[in-house]
Amino acid sequence: MQRPDWAPDTIDIERPSVARMYDYYLGGSHNFAADRAAAQAMVAAVPEAPLMAQANRAFLRRAVHHLADAGIKQFLDIGSGIPTVGNVHEIAQQLDPQARVVYVDVDPVAVAHSREILAGNEQAAVVQEDLRNPEAILAHPDVRKLLDLSQPVAVMVVAVLHFVSDDDRPAELLRTLRDALAPGSYLVLSQASDDGRSEDERAEAERVYRRTDNPLSVRSRAELTTLFDGFELLDPGVVWVPQWRPDTPESAEDAERAVFMGGVGRLGG
Amino acid sequence: MAESPGANPCPGTFARAWAKAVSGTSYLPMTQAQLESLLDRLTGQLAGALLTEPFDLRAGHRVGAELVAAHIASAEGLGRTVEVIQLRLVRDLGLVAEDVEDRMARLLAAVTTGYARALRDRTLDEQESIRRAAMRARTQAERALRASEARFRHQATHDPLTGLPNRTLFTERLAAALNEPGRGAQRVGVCFLDLDRFKVVNDTLGHQIGDLLLATVAERLRKSMGEHLVARLGGDEFVILVERTAGTDDMVAVAETALAAVRTPALVDGHELQISASIGIVERQVAGANPTDLMRAADSTLHWAKSAGGARWALYDAERNQRELARYALSAAIPAALERGEFYLDYQPLTSLRDGSLVGVEALVRWRHPELGVLRPDSFIGLAEETGLIVQLGGWVLAEACREAEAWSAGGVAAPFVSVNLAVRQVHRPGLVQEVRALLRRTGLPPERLQLEITESTMMSTAEEPVRALRVLADLGVRIAIDDFGTGYSNLAYLRDLPVTELKVAGEFVAGLRSPSVGRTDERILASLVSLAHALDLTVTAEGVETAGQAERLRAIGCDAAQGWHFGRPAPADRILARIR
Repeated sequence: MQRPDWAPDTIDIERPSVARMYDYYLGGSHNFAADRAAAQAMVAAVPEAPLMAQANRAFLRRAVHHLADAGIKQFLDIGSGIPTVGNVHEIAQQLDPQARVVYVDVDPVAVAHSREILAGNEQAAVVQEDLRNPEAILAHPDVRKLLDLSQPVAVMVVAVLHFVSDDDRPAELLRTLRDALAPGSYLVLSQASDDGRSEDERAEAERVYRRTDNPLSVRSRAELTTLFDGFELLDPGVVWVPQWRPDTPESAEDAERAVFMGGVGRLGG
Repeated sequence: MAESPGANPCPGTFARAWAKAVSGTSYLPMTQAQLESLLDRLTGQLAGALLTEPFDLRAGHRVGAELVAAHIASAEGLGRTVEVIQLRLVRDLGLVAEDVEDRMARLLAAVTTGYARALRDRTLDEQESIRRAAMRARTQAERALRASEARFRHQATHDPLTGLPNRTLFTERLAAALNEPGRGAQRVGVCFLDLDRFKVVNDTLGHQIGDLLLATVAERLRKSMGEHLVARLGGDEFVILVERTAGTDDMVAVAETALAAVRTPALVDGHELQISASIGIVERQVAGANPTDLMRAADSTLHWAKSAGGARWALYDAERNQRELARYALSAAIPAALERGEFYLDYQPLTSLRDGSLVGVEALVRWRHPELGVLRPDSFIGLAEETGLIVQLGGWVLAEACREAEAWSAGGVAAPFVSVNLAVRQVHRPGLVQEVRALLRRTGLPPERLQLEITESTMMSTAEEPVRALRVLADLGVRIAIDDFGTGYSNLAYLRDLPVTELKVAGEFVAGLRSPSVGRTDERILASLVSLAHALDLTVTAEGVETAGQAERLRAIGCDAAQGWHFGRPAPADRILARIR
């Protein structure tokens, strides 16, 4: 019998997963040999890779803190990966136990793991879906159950957009999400940038990620800024992630080594 | 989170230095201030451990474990922690103790031990949890795959309109029923069901109503058939598979139930539809049976039920099937036989009862079959009529008869007419007049020497075209005879409208004349027919005359001519004509 095109994929842990590679960069052990091998190759190519992941995770933490302080009680984290240390629900629910969080990831292992971590947490859920399919995310029953889209929501698209190629029209994907949001909602966005990087480094990094299901599409600051179309960018705009409202002035030093750029935008109206 | 806010709102120099040393060694889910506050608390524990008597290893273990729990859990984090404690703890806190170096070494050993233990446990836990997640994801993916395959399989084996199993599933189940080992001695049956005149529903009420009706019929069949598999093969064809039958009685009962289920009027979209079905039943031993033969047999049997008028079942009959197969083979061979010239004509004399002269001959077709020998028309004409090949064959007979008959006038004696049978399809076909005209012109046969024999059933139709054609031919001078008169419809009305010249009275009336006692009624019927015909200015020819006695009585009645063995069997034209030369 020929497999129909809607049949699901199988799970292959011999193939590196970007979610588990990211966990490795963060010092976690939620990864397999293939993930570690790919991550080590990445570190050889771009020695700052672990730093990038840490800086990005710290950006996420600061952004969630800021939004929670601004009164946001609903979070939609798309591309959440392996939800280990310092994830959105930990930060948000620590500040407000009623905060509701829906994680979305395309990686079935990441989703299964998230489900285990979130077991018993009525205020959080995980959905297996692809950022490239925003309509399905917005229509998903678990998203609808936990999030009230008539109220402000923070949509987190953190460290995932570099896995969406221009062919998949990232601006349109974000527009679809934006159009579903109530005024006062936020977009938190970060991704790998090639600003100031050598051609060699970029080629090497892209070569590593071709081993995964998710090849890299790095973008410039200008490109990232246009992705906030429709949102009012909060200060300081799109910056290297360590520069986004750092805890201490020192932590923003050598910011461009973090490779990731990001920003936070608010939907007015 | 591990830090306890407020434990020491103003962390000391050492805690700040420690925080600076470890920040960046791994991801720390806290602000710098929270980190300093945490480390300040741990600094207190370290200082305590260094001074407490007796020295307690567990304090150092706890600090190591807390570092890991707070995610200060990288190799670099440990290295820098050891370094900063060794270099600065005693100095920054101004600690004074005996053998402080010794105690410091033991404290660091305890911290690193506690740290390594906690990190090892954490690593193993995380490995376990990610493997568990992978396993669960895989199980889920496989389950989803099975479900999708099951869904796909269901789609591939069921009919979307009725939800019944489709031909694929039925074929599988039938093959399984026939092939399963150990089933050899058992019996299996199928009912092949087709709705009668379903096309009329589609044509008059539309396909949507037709589809709804099919769905209704399907639902009824499914309900009434219990455990037997009911499948829709396509269109309005359904099939019921009955496994482990005890014999044909079982199958007849199933068929009756199915017919009853279909027969109940159905209310479809406001229309009350009364529909019936025909069923072909095949029931046989599993041993030696194969699905293709079985379904072919069921199909033929269904056609028997249909041709018997529908709304009934028919049971497969091997002999009948054999005959039909032979007939089919024969009919399929007709076109090639025509091409190869395997047909020829014999002629049977039509003799005047007044003076014994030969008034005409009836052309009778023969088939010199290469394998079966000479075949008489009764073995292939019916077949040719069913398949429509009669038009081609009849056309050949007509042309051949005209061609041969034309030559008979050469002797100078009044030549007999040639009488040729026309099948219903030939008469109803447009172009008959042109065909006959062209033939007469081509052969030169005078029209009055051609007689066309048609049966009463030819005139049953209300179509005007055949009557008009026959009238044109009669006007040309062609003779029109009604064949087998008295056995069919015998509606005398058409005698009024038709340009008939002769009635040929069926042989069965003549047969009665052989025995004087029995033949009274037949003789009276014959006498009446003759006087009726004469009153209408028609001549009468009696068929099947076999004895001199019959001939004598027919002559006495006033019958004009006779045909039959008594006057001559069918023979080649030259043998017949030899009698008049």
